[in-house]
Parts: sequence; C-alpha cells; structure tokens
Amino acid sequence: MGKQKTVTTSSGQPIRKKPLSIRMWNSRGYYLMFLPVFIYVLIVYYWPMLGVRYAFYDYSLKNFEFIGLDNFKEMFATKDFWRAFFNTLQLSVIKLLITTFASVIISVFLNEMGNMVAKKTLQTVIYLPHFMSWAVVAAIFTLFLSKSSSGFVNETLKSWGVIEKSIDFMHSKAWWRPIYYMVNVWKETGWGTVIFLATLSGINPELYEAADIDGASRMQKIWNVTVPALANTILIVLILNLAKVMNLFESVFVMYNTRVYKVADVISTYIYREGFMTALPNYGYTTAVGLFKSLVGCVLVLVCNFASKKVRGRGII
Amino acid sequence: MKKKVLSVLLASAMVVSLAACGASDDDTSAASSSSSSSSTSSSASTDTASTDTAASTDTAAAEDYVLEKLHIVVDGTLTATVDSGQQEFEAQWEEAVGERLGHPIDLVITQLDHSDYTGTVSRMLATSSVGDEDYPDAMIMSASMYRQYQTTGILWDMASAYDNAEFQARVTLPTVNENMKTADGKLYGFAPTYGNGCVTYIKQSWLDAVGKTVDDIKTFDDYYNLLLAFTNDDPDGNGSAGTYGVIAAGFGKLDEAPYINYMPEFWQGAYPSFYQKDGEWVDGFTEQATVDALERLAKAYADGIIDPDTEEAGTKQAREKFFSNDQSTSEGVFTYWAGTWLRTLTNNMSKNEVDDDLGDDRLVQLPPIKEIVDTWGGYINREAPVWVITDDGDGSNAREQAIFDALLDTMLDGDRVQTLWTYGAEDVHWSIHAEEFSTNADDPDKRKDYSYEEGEFHLKQSPNDPNAVWKKNHLDSVLVIAPLTNGFVDDDELVTKGNQFFTTHCVDAPAAAACDTLTANQEDLTSKKKELMNLVVAGEITAQEAMDEYTDEFGDIVEQILAELNAQ
Repeated sequence: MGKQKTVTTSSGQPIRKKPLSIRMWNSRGYYLMFLPVFIYVLIVYYWPMLGVRYAFYDYSLKNFEFIGLDNFKEMFATKDFWRAFFNTLQLSVIKLLITTFASVIISVFLNEMGNMVAKKTLQTVIYLPHFMSWAVVAAIFTLFLSKSSSGFVNETLKSWGVIEKSIDFMHSKAWWRPIYYMVNVWKETGWGTVIFLATLSGINPELYEAADIDGASRMQKIWNVTVPALANTILIVLILNLAKVMNLFESVFVMYNTRVYKVADVISTYIYREGFMTALPNYGYTTAVGLFKSLVGCVLVLVCNFASKKVRGRGII
Repeated sequence: MKKKVLSVLLASAMVVSLAACGASDDDTSAASSSSSSSSTSSSASTDTASTDTAASTDTAAAEDYVLEKLHIVVDGTLTATVDSGQQEFEAQWEEAVGERLGHPIDLVITQLDHSDYTGTVSRMLATSSVGDEDYPDAMIMSASMYRQYQTTGILWDMASAYDNAEFQARVTLPTVNENMKTADGKLYGFAPTYGNGCVTYIKQSWLDAVGKTVDDIKTFDDYYNLLLAFTNDDPDGNGSAGTYGVIAAGFGKLDEAPYINYMPEFWQGAYPSFYQKDGEWVDGFTEQATVDALERLAKAYADGIIDPDTEEAGTKQAREKFFSNDQSTSEGVFTYWAGTWLRTLTNNMSKNEVDDDLGDDRLVQLPPIKEIVDTWGGYINREAPVWVITDDGDGSNAREQAIFDALLDTMLDGDRVQTLWTYGAEDVHWSIHAEEFSTNADDPDKRKDYSYEEGEFHLKQSPNDPNAVWKKNHLDSVLVIAPLTNGFVDDDELVTKGNQFFTTHCVDAPAAAACDTLTANQEDLTSKKKELMNLVVAGEITAQEAMDEYTDEFGDIVEQILAELNAQ
C-alpha cells in the first residue's frame, strides 16, 4: 500500500475530500452524458475484439474446434509469413525515414521563401497528392512507368539514350521498392510539412536577428537556428509514426504484383490473400496472423510511449 | 484507494459484460458448428442404399414441405442482371414455378461480382447460418470450387433427387453429371450444361496482311512465326510498330481448372496442377511438360510477341484490347470461349468498327496445332460449373428436395422455365409476337433491321443496349444436357459454327483433385505457382530454378496431397 497523497489548499490546510460515490452522485449529469459514449465504445470497439479468440480455433467452413496455439505454430513455420513480416518492417521504417527527411527539407525551403504568393501556391500544390486515393495514385504511376510505348519515363529515357530497352519498373524486384518509396514521398511529403512549418513559424525571430548581427550566412542560420529548433519535432513525428509501422496495406496492395512478392508482400496483403482470395479460408489462421501483427504493433506503441516520455517528458498514450 | 477499487470493479464489469456477449456468440457458433458437423456425419454415415430407401420418404416429405422463398446466389453467368431485365425474369419464374408447385414462391437472387465470386461466397457462408436471410439455398460453383466444397458437409447429396428427376427422360448427355458422382455414388452438384472450352481466334484481316491463311498454321513453329509476323510486320497497316501476336488473361489461369485453356499452344501437353495420369495422381506443375511450357512462354515474352498486359489482365481487359477500336496496340490472336463468345467477339469488333468489311468472317478459328493433338488430343472441355444446394443438417431432406424440385428440376423442364433460364424473360429478352426493330438505327452504315411475324420465336434488343440483340441468359441452348422441347431455337449460324468447331476439336479436361491437405494449402500453392510462372516468363529466373524453389517450399505438402489423393 502506497502512502496516500493529501490534497491541501494554497495555505497548506488539508482539504477533506468527499467519498467517491458522493462525488459521482453530485456529478451524475456528466456521468449520464458519458454513458452513451461508454456503451458505444464497448459495442463498436471492444465487442468485435472478442473475435481474437478465433486465433486459437480451426475456424473454417468445414471445422470449428479449439486447437490451442496450432495456428501460431503454423504461422511461425511458414516462410511467406516471415517474408511478409520483414517486408512490413523494412518498407514501413524506410518509408517513414525518407518521407520525414523530405518533409523537413521542404519545410525549411518553404520557410526560407520570401515571396508569399509563391510560397502559398507551392504549399497548395504539394499538399494536393495527399488527398488523392491510393488507387488513383497507383494507376497514374503504373501508366507513367509503364514498359509500353505509352510509358512516359521509359520513352523519355530511351529518347535521351540513357537506356536501350524499357525497364519494367513495377514488376522488377530491384526497382519496386525505390519506386514505392518515391511514390510515398510524392504523395505524403507535402502533408508532412504541415507540422514542421507550424514549428518553424514559432521560432523566435530574435534568434535570426542575433545571427544576422553575428554575420551568419543564410545556410549558417538554417543549420544553427532552424534545424536545432526542428529537432524535437522531428523526433516526436518519428516516434508517433513508428507506432503505426505495422499498418501497411492500401499503398502496397494497389502497387504490388506476383512478381515482386519477395520484396513487396506485407502482413496485411498476406492476410488478405489467405482470408479473401481462397475458396475455403481458415479464418482461425488469418486471425492468428492478425493478432500477432496487433501484438507487435502494441509493443511498438509501448516502446514509443517510453521513448516519448524520455524525449518530451510525456507519453503518447 | 477507493478510486482504484472502483476502477477494478468497472473493468471487471466490462469484462463480464463482454464475456456474456461472447458466450452468446459461442453458443451460436457452437450451434452452427454442430449443425455443420451433424450434416457431415449424417452425410458420411448414409450409404447409397439407405439413400435410395429414403428417397421415396424424402420425396413425400418434400411434397408436404412448402418452400415459400428460394434464395439463390449466382455469378456473372446469369446474364439477365438487375440492369438487364432480372426483375422480369424473377417475376416470370415465380409465376411459372408457382403454378407448377401449386403454391406461390418468392425467388431471391443475389448476384455477386464475378471476379471475386469464390471469396464472397465463402464469407457469406462463414458469416451466416441456415435459416438466416442471407444464407443461400442454392448456388453456382465452378468445378474447382465444387471439388473443395463437396467434403465440407455444407452441400446436400442430391444423387437420389437427380436420379429421380423429371428431366431424366430427356437427358442427352448423362455422363456430365454421372462423372461427377463420388466413388460411393454421392452427387453434391448438378451441371445443367457441359463445360465448354476455349478455341483460338485469329483476326482474318491480320492474316491477310501478313499473307497467311489459317491452313498454314499446323505446328507450334507455324503458330510462333505467325505471332512474330503479327508483332513485326505491321498487320494493322499503320506503318509503325505497337502490335502484338497474342493476349490472354494471364500466362496461365492457375487458380481455375483447366488452367491452360487461355494459351493452349504454349502449354501443349502440360497441366500445372494435380491430375490423374495412367490411374495415378501426379503434380503436373513439376513435370517436364510444364518446364517446357514455361520456357516457351519466356521465349515468346522476350521476343515481344505476347502482349505484356497479359500478365495482369483480367478476361474483360484482354478481350476489350483484342476488339478495341484502336488496333495499333492490339493483338492478332486471342484464345477464348467457344460458341456464343464467337458471336460476342464479332459483335464487339463490329461495334468498334473493326474490319467491318468482313462481317461475320472477322475471326477465324484455329484448329488445335499438332502438339496439342499429339498430347491432349484437342482443346480442353472444362468440367462443368454446377448448381449446389445447401444442407441444413436437420436430418430430413424435405427442404433440400423441395429446393431441387423448385429450382433444378424445373430448370430443365424443356419448356417454360427452361426457356427462362436459356433466353430470359418473355417480351423482355425474347418474344413470339410480330415486331420490327433496328439496331444502330442512327448509323446508316451499321444499321440492321429485324422483322418477325406473329408466332415466330426471336430474341429482342438487349434491355441495356438497344444496338445489340440479346444472346442468352444462364443456359447455353447448345451446351445444355436436356434440350428444349418447345422448338424455341435461336439459330445464329455463327454460334452454331463455333459450337460445332469446338465439339469437333475438344477432349474432356482431367477431373479436378480434392483432398483435405490440398484444400488447406490451395491458396498458398496457387499463389506460389503464379509468382514463379510470372518470374520465369519475365526471364528473372529459369524454369528449373522455379521448380527447385517450389519443391523446396512445398515438396512435403505435395507428397502429402498425392498420398491422400492416391488413397481415395
């Protein structure tokens, strides 16, 4: 039993708190208002979670029986699962680092722009891709990078004499990941600058004036004033996004194909194929894979929470 | 402290309430499971003799059973879709079948997306149970899907109902369904037609442009040289490159039997799945014939004679590119379904103003090349898609027999209901009343006038396309196992020619395999085979490397599957 904290007034006099039940009764109006939300959360968020028990069942149209950890044993013994697991981590983490880095660079450049009209126009232009659906983005880039005569990139490279034969970018194991990162940078970098630009607008102008007086060049001001001011925000953005690295589906699903499974198949696409593309799926197995993915995601959230506490003094949950 | 106690109590209350919810769910699942297992055990323990004995009792019970509502799940093969007169089809079916049964019956049709049919059906069955509104009474299944489902206990053994069906006296192709019976005489699906298959179509204008005739194409080398000519010799006459020899929906359709029918000239004697060879089950994917086929495809891909879109094209994309208005990036060869599809492809070329001067001679059918004849014997006639009835597992066949009587027995009644399934709704899709109409009425070059006298059977304009004449509904009149007896025949010469060509040059596909281990690993095997096939064709790995990787990953599973299949 820990020592009870005593609540005191500003003059140091102890305040005698009323019992919780009485305080609840006194605030019954608030509790009543909270009740619908509580019920909603229970039904919509927690009730479906009961489905995780199917991870311990052989649950197909043919069978429904408890099999303990067999689904997990099968999962850990499956090469395709591990391939999808490591692809998920690799694609997510590298994508996160690249898009964050690109967002920082663009934010700094935008911050340095003096012409406000050009700055606002550029901001709007780079925000736009974020609002396009992944299906549309994939269609655009597939056409853009196509191997056929309508593929702009291949035709341009050939006309410049850079390549002789068209490159099948979207079907090449060597090219798929760089293309994937590039498309993500194109789509998400603009949106990612929002938080950095907000931070930059909060930097004390006196710091720049002081640097001017000291005779600092523009690059020196960026390096010695702007970047240090952004460091804490960069770290927070990385930490917050690290918790979501397992949630990778749509962007991969619309861009991958059988030939690049080795470098592109992620856990969510693996679950999709096992659960939705087969005549008699074992929902128990796909639930087990999904549960494992959630557990890894949960651990990452806790790690990030710990890191966040260390970096900024408060957690993210 | 009180706060902590209260928190614990609240958390406990939440857990208990959730557990309560979960418990009720468990009960449902258990009930569903027990229902399922009881149906399995009931079907497992019932031998053929007892089925026969029970048949008369069941028929009597079915006569007492009043089927008020029939929920069927169909794919895209029911061409009377909601946009094309399905409502009228339903109404006329309800009237005709209601009169026959002596009581009203409500037909509910759920038509699923054709391309995701298999997955949607499995989700539908997994998320509902017998008695639920969503649970289907009967469904269409492809042969591969049917083989996987027949051991689940979900499907009703209709052997007795089939044997005693009214249409039996008129069946002209009895082997179609007899061959689907299990070794112990059970029949879980009913095929109203034979399977049909694909033949290779070549554009006549392109043949003319490269100075060849279909008679010149006898061997694979001839075929290959033709594809080279279509790719390199400017067959569309626009003076520049861009054309391809051939397109298909995938280099091989490895997720659906008979797997090789979209590119038979390349696959030749290969069969990249489990099949019976000299009485023993083998894995055709690992055979030398498959290695050779993959190497042929890889060479053709490297030579640029296969349209690269083939790798990811669906059937719709492939055929639309083939008959596209823009022939400068099209292909000269397309292997697709026989019979009615010859008419559909020709009509679509006409609609896109491709080779209008050739009329119905736009496409020429290529007889199977020597290598196909020497191995399979001809084009592959696939195992027929079937109708299945769900078993409610209550130990009585009354409901299931009533469904059979209402749906399947009437489907081949030779008259009113069979006409509905074959041509669609009267005065919507077809008529016997005097009428005149024109297709492409606004285009003098393409306008075609139709005139019919009173009493003359004819197909009408399509409900969703006034420039096309309706072709058929679900059943193909030429493929059906028991023909219409009312004399309603759509005598389209081109369709007849297409069907005759196919039946002259076809052989039956090997029976699809089914066992527990195969069912459990079907998706993984198919996915891996597709991945390896595409890598080999693209030249990223050799065929032998693909085989090594496949054997390394699935060797043990394949052995287990073969052991189970050969023990059946």
